[in-house]
Amino acid sequence: MDRWWSDGTETGPRLWQGILAIVAIGAALGMGQNVLVRRGSPKDGLAWRYEPPKLDSLESLTTTSSGGAPPAAAPAAAPAPDPMNNDPLGLGAQGTTSGLDVPDLPRPIQIQLPKVKEFFDAKAATFVDARDPDEYASGHIPGAVSLPGEQATTDPARLEKFDPQGKPIIVYCGGGTCELSMNLGFALVAAGKHRVLVFTGGWPEWSGASYPIEKGAGS
Amino acid sequence: MRAFLMHPTVRRGAQILCGLIFLAAALPKIADLAAFAGSVHNFHLERVIPMAATNLLAMSIPWIELVAGLALVTGVRPRAGAIVYTVLLAVFTAGVVQAMARGLSFDCGCFGKAGAAKIGFQKLAENLGMLALGIVASVERR
Repeated sequence: MDRWWSDGTETGPRLWQGILAIVAIGAALGMGQNVLVRRGSPKDGLAWRYEPPKLDSLESLTTTSSGGAPPAAAPAAAPAPDPMNNDPLGLGAQGTTSGLDVPDLPRPIQIQLPKVKEFFDAKAATFVDARDPDEYASGHIPGAVSLPGEQATTDPARLEKFDPQGKPIIVYCGGGTCELSMNLGFALVAAGKHRVLVFTGGWPEWSGASYPIEKGAGS
Repeated sequence: MRAFLMHPTVRRGAQILCGLIFLAAALPKIADLAAFAGSVHNFHLERVIPMAATNLLAMSIPWIELVAGLALVTGVRPRAGAIVYTVLLAVFTAGVVQAMARGLSFDCGCFGKAGAAKIGFQKLAENLGMLALGIVASVERR
């Protein structure tokens, strides 16, 4: 060959060698980079074995807490039934039968569609849409606040200012593993919010179930 | 048309273009591996590959893109580079299609975080175009 580059003449074993070499060198360099990054600070590197973040589900928490030992605060907060009760769903009180109370935990909790709908119908939660504003504008759960995940994690002050009006927060995004809502959930907890629920099924499940939706950019 | 697509100069041009595309895709991902790993998890591929292996993929793919991109641009084993490019793009395109089929919407992380492109028909069209370029770049010289 009279020039050092070619336009791709390799065939047969030479071609396979090349392909293997590219893949092997690339993978080795990538893992090497991760070794170096992890040596510098293990937090910045990637885990060699990925484990999806596991959240307790609200459903399992509520069944175990009603069956097992009650939380320490429950006896004091469970007064005798009030004949003048104007809060039939018991949203204001703890330890009621509504099943809509959320334990005050310093970590996000996972929540599934049926429970999400209960919260929605009872207006017992503040919904947060973690997707991009344009997706929010083209359809979201009615009343949801747009808090784009990426923007929010770069601007923690916005999360601290966010006021859930004393209700649990339900975060959702575009479905899948929904890391966006998962991350936003953790960020909200880090910003001092408690009772943060992550609806991992997100928008695809909600709209797929033909539940009410709302359009527009909102405020 | 066929003769044009098989012309060595056209093939070499396609190879350089593919190489530049892969370099542009690889560098931002290498700079922010964690973001790319997040994108890979978003594709939700546990039926195809074990979730535990997705981080290994996330750290290898950008560097494989980089090495293949260099091979394509410099013309050292460009056909091997072109075939790696084409196969990877076919895999990426399949990922986009299955994500669309399940109605998922997220940033694919294809060119890193800055060029955030949502999974959708535009992304699909882009990928098909780049795939066609890869095929032109990898045909055998006769």
